[in-house]
Amino acid sequence: MSDTYAVDLENVSKSFGAFKALNGVNLRVRQGEIYGLLGPNGSGKTTLIRLICGLLEAHAGTVTVLGQRMPNVAVLRHIGYMTQQAALYPALSVGENVAFFAAINGADAGVKAALELVQLYDRRGSVVATLSGGLRQRCSLACALVHRPELLLLDEPTVGIDPQLRVQFWESFRQMAADGTTIIISSHVMDEADRCQRLGLIQYGRLLAEGTPADIRVQGGSQNLEEAFLALAGRNES
Amino acid sequence: MSGHRVRAITRRLLQGFRRDRRTLALLFVAPIVILGLLGYLLRGSTSSPSVGIANEDSGPLGAVVADALRHSSHITTTNISAADGDARLIDGSLVAYIVLPSDFSRQAQSGNVAPEVHLEGSQPGNDAPVLQALQQALINLASQVAGRSVNFQPRIHYLYGGASFDTLDYFGAAFVGLVVFFLVFVITIVSFLNERSQGTLERLMASPLRRGEIVLGYMLGFTVLALVQAAEVLIFSLAVLKIQNQGNVLLIFGMEALMAIAAVNLGIFLSMFARSEFQAVQFIPLVVVPQVLLSGIIFPVSSEPKGLQYLSDVLPLTYAVNGMRDIMVKGADLTWSSLQLDAGVVAGFCVVLIAAGTATLRRRLG
Repeated sequence: MSDTYAVDLENVSKSFGAFKALNGVNLRVRQGEIYGLLGPNGSGKTTLIRLICGLLEAHAGTVTVLGQRMPNVAVLRHIGYMTQQAALYPALSVGENVAFFAAINGADAGVKAALELVQLYDRRGSVVATLSGGLRQRCSLACALVHRPELLLLDEPTVGIDPQLRVQFWESFRQMAADGTTIIISSHVMDEADRCQRLGLIQYGRLLAEGTPADIRVQGGSQNLEEAFLALAGRNES
Repeated sequence: MSGHRVRAITRRLLQGFRRDRRTLALLFVAPIVILGLLGYLLRGSTSSPSVGIANEDSGPLGAVVADALRHSSHITTTNISAADGDARLIDGSLVAYIVLPSDFSRQAQSGNVAPEVHLEGSQPGNDAPVLQALQQALINLASQVAGRSVNFQPRIHYLYGGASFDTLDYFGAAFVGLVVFFLVFVITIVSFLNERSQGTLERLMASPLRRGEIVLGYMLGFTVLALVQAAEVLIFSLAVLKIQNQGNVLLIFGMEALMAIAAVNLGIFLSMFARSEFQAVQFIPLVVVPQVLLSGIIFPVSSEPKGLQYLSDVLPLTYAVNGMRDIMVKGADLTWSSLQLDAGVVAGFCVVLIAAGTATLRRRLG
């Protein structure tokens, strides 16, 4: 793990009309780190991820990704983005979907490796519309990492996934991080938080606390991460 | 059957509409726009077919017929010389001209008149009023020639079409293009909305793809489909429906391709203004129906009220329909300035729509 920051957000705010989705967020993610964004639904996790990949523009503050100020199209070839819903083409097969995302990222050679990583190579001919939710999520992950991005943004990738598959996903994430890929993963599932190297707790568009899972437990005054989070959230509200 | 459950479904439906203001607006605005347009088009239209009269009769009876034609409510007349007649038909200023030959009075006295009727022929709807006006004028003549009956045998010449040219031939030329335009537009707008609603557009926007690449990729993909469809429509129209065609099949195909490209880009452009496939489908009556009414497919643009003619002049379909008819009915080729204009304008619309589609495709979500 290096001290080079793959993602650097300085005092970032973003509003949608009168609603402040993010309010003065400072966040730094090191290269090769698995960083977990934790927070309840509607806390600003997806907005933060969309700002990082340039789908949204901050009203205040700066977003720097892989050394470039965002939004910047040139950086996008180094980013992999897995949206919250398994955004795929239902009429295409698994292989065709992955090949399409490989082609638009100029990484046609990576299709087989990506399919093998998510253990879908044998199902590459299956049409996505006929797949279960879990298989779709795996296909969606393959689409996000087919071009071996330097930064992988995963917006609640394990929602609706059975525990066995979740373990497999995390195996893959750890393997990629070990190879130098920076991973930012959003979740509101606390038992996933322990798998991250560092966590950022978000509520009402503010970063409440940041640190390793152990740091968060200390800050929240509980050995249970969920209780620690609720304690930190409670302090913020009071 | 539970009334309570039925009411629950009805209430759920109306609650959904209450929050979808765009749908509500279209539901109530679209019929007024379409019916208003149709009413204005049908009631506001005052022009009648322009007919030239070349009275070459050395006797007095030609003038009697010419005068009766001038007073006919079916047509508007202009005096011309027979030599100018065809040129006036070609430039579109006349739909027909009638030549009363130099021996017309003598013919009438002998009981057999054969005036020459030259019809432009590409719009069957215009032929009937001309022939009707002439028939009335000749009945009027008969009453002037005392003591004997007069037999009428007008000699009809067609510049385009012919006696066998029917309504299907006239509409078919326009519909061959319209069918492609309409279906390609609907497929594109719904597909693009799909891209948005299934989340793949968000993914594309977070990739190195440029907006122009997305628009061009879509355009090429749908154009390939549209061309196959265009070929099918053309073969069916010519081989099965036997719609008359005087022109080059490749030119028709080229014009259909231009219309398909315009439709694809119109679909991409308008999809930016719809939030769901449901809303996108509602663009169809607002975008397609006025074009069908105003582009000359059903009612010739020249017969529209003046105000609507200005509107017709800025619709791409007007030029596309005119071009298709020029090719199929009149046998136009690319040396015709009218076809150059039509193809040029449709191509220009394609360029404008590609630019508009690219410009409105936002990379950012908010």
